[in-house]
Amino acid sequence: MATATRFRTLKDMPSDEYLTPGNTMCAGCGGILAVRIFHKVLGPNVTWVNAAGCMTIAVSYPLSPLKSNWIYTAFASAPAGAQGVRDALDVLMAKGKLPASEDMKVVVVTGDGAAYDIGFQSAAGAIDRRLDFYYLCYDNEAYGNTGFQMSSSTPFGSASKTTPPTAANPIGNTHRKMDLFEVWRAQNAPYVATLSNSHGVDFLKKVEKGGTIRGPKMYIDFAACPTGWGFDPKDSIELEKLAVQTGIWPLKESVDGVVRHTVVPRSLLPVKEYLTKQERFAHLFEPTERTEAIRTIQESVNSYWAVAGAKEGFAVKAAEVT
Amino acid sequence: MMLRVRFHGRGGQGAKTASRILGDAAFNDGFNDQDFPIYGAERRGAPVAAFTRFSDGDITERGFIFSPDIVGVMDDSLIEDPLANPFAGLRKGGCAVVNTTKPSGTLLPDRKDAKIITIDLTGMALKMLGKPILSSGIAAAVARVAGVSEGSFLKAVADELREVGLSEEMVKKNVEFAMAVYGELAPLTLRTEELPSKLELVPLAVVVSGEGMEDVTQTGNSAVRHTGNWRTYRPVIDYRRCTDCMICYAYCPESAMSVGEDGRVRIDYENCKGCMICLTECPLKAISQSGERGLQ
Ligand code: SF4
Ligand code: SF4
Ligand code: SF4
Repeated sequence: MATATRFRTLKDMPSDEYLTPGNTMCAGCGGILAVRIFHKVLGPNVTWVNAAGCMTIAVSYPLSPLKSNWIYTAFASAPAGAQGVRDALDVLMAKGKLPASEDMKVVVVTGDGAAYDIGFQSAAGAIDRRLDFYYLCYDNEAYGNTGFQMSSSTPFGSASKTTPPTAANPIGNTHRKMDLFEVWRAQNAPYVATLSNSHGVDFLKKVEKGGTIRGPKMYIDFAACPTGWGFDPKDSIELEKLAVQTGIWPLKESVDGVVRHTVVPRSLLPVKEYLTKQERFAHLFEPTERTEAIRTIQESVNSYWAVAGAKEGFAVKAAEVT
Repeated sequence: MMLRVRFHGRGGQGAKTASRILGDAAFNDGFNDQDFPIYGAERRGAPVAAFTRFSDGDITERGFIFSPDIVGVMDDSLIEDPLANPFAGLRKGGCAVVNTTKPSGTLLPDRKDAKIITIDLTGMALKMLGKPILSSGIAAAVARVAGVSEGSFLKAVADELREVGLSEEMVKKNVEFAMAVYGELAPLTLRTEELPSKLELVPLAVVVSGEGMEDVTQTGNSAVRHTGNWRTYRPVIDYRRCTDCMICYAYCPESAMSVGEDGRVRIDYENCKGCMICLTECPLKAISQSGERGLQ
């Protein structure tokens, strides 16, 4: 289904800036880049509702990099906060106290800690109530703000503060990354999408599309984290690209439960090309290569794409399992 | 006798580790010690400080060190940074060890009562470690000046760096780096002023919200933070090569790039953090990097 879009190339990215320079996120942070691009599509009238995470520090009194509004909530309750803002706007407009031109888009912004773990139930509640809002999770796959402890989003094989590789458990995290996209889809959220900053046009189009849908619009952005993942900030976009090209981060959307992959790699790059570029996976290669663990990761990626391809009718050449 | 040392660095340079190494080294020499960092709400690149006290007697002082005998400054851009203010409270007769390529006379002209020692730690670290991580280097410089013995110091470097999880190879390189720095300097006899033990009350200025300071209704005002001083390298656009494709602009996480009326991309050096994403992503290799503060 092709819908009209104003985004065909990166040059179409709106030039209006709603994020001023001088924020306090780490140099090269994918999370703040996601907020910047997201905001460009939404335009000026936005209220951000934040749950504790790295982004909380980006807006630290008395300085804010946002030209729009910003509300903190407790870790667990950003969607509840968003409900309050949405209701207040609706009531004021219904009473004629706020002109419709001053209506705002309400956007929850959280890290994966709040999205996958601590704020999970309040997001579920908001989906259940069909709250008309955007939900943006910048997913850096751990609790980055407090020193990179494992979350339900941390991938298999990743080291973290709480899953260090040890003699007894040399591979780090043994859990698989939770599939939040599917969880939200199962709750009948009308729009769920994954994003990668590295695929800017796909990103812009998905935020644009969300604007045509009433109800909860859920986004998970793959947000490279130089500090937590251990790589040079200059490679943030390259790593995000690699995550897509290896098939580790599928770009897709679900409209009323129907899933479509929006970027389909013809043939997958080996996951090794992605893993070896980050310190959080270094123990899988040094001092001895953890062949078994790497194979597990490669196999799960290959089988993901085989299943997705069979459902949607595309073919992806799997990467060799070594 | 007690020595109070304050380290100033940028997040990621290793100020906290430096304070631990120094504390551990003094402990190995038989002193009592304390070491601890202060964190602001900021990240890699932002100003941070860490403290070490050591003494042959009991240490009854607690809390941040406002009147250090020695300050270790890991980045000379901090000198101008009001958030860091690294020489604040430095005692008469005290010493500042500064990582810089600038001549020592230019750094603190109005403090004839303090000794300034300069050393190009960044240059040495890039050569010996391959990256500008300075914890063992600044700790070595301060330990040497303070008269900590070499054996105790090198043991502390290895112990502390192992504890933060460095590989054996990096530990070895750091020990070599620390030895080189230690060898460059000589111990000083510091005779710093004693301060009256009774503290004076400092009257606080009354701050009216909205006057002289931003209030909560202010938005988009972060540019005054000047995150440009987080940079080690600056990106430079070669406009003869640039085709205005806007890719760098799209991917700058800081909004530190803007498009001028002539359609050309410009970099706001006041706040560009030097992440170098623009350099990596430019398809025409029209962006190069140039070292800040005398780096290559
Ligand atoms: S820790 Fe990671 S996610 Fe958090 S601000 Fe730094 S780079 Fe961004
Ligand atoms: S170095 Fe980073 S912050 Fe500076 S202009 Fe380039 S992308 Fe932006
Ligand atoms: S990416 Fe390179 S060519 Fe494109 S606008 Fe930036 S500097 Fe110019």
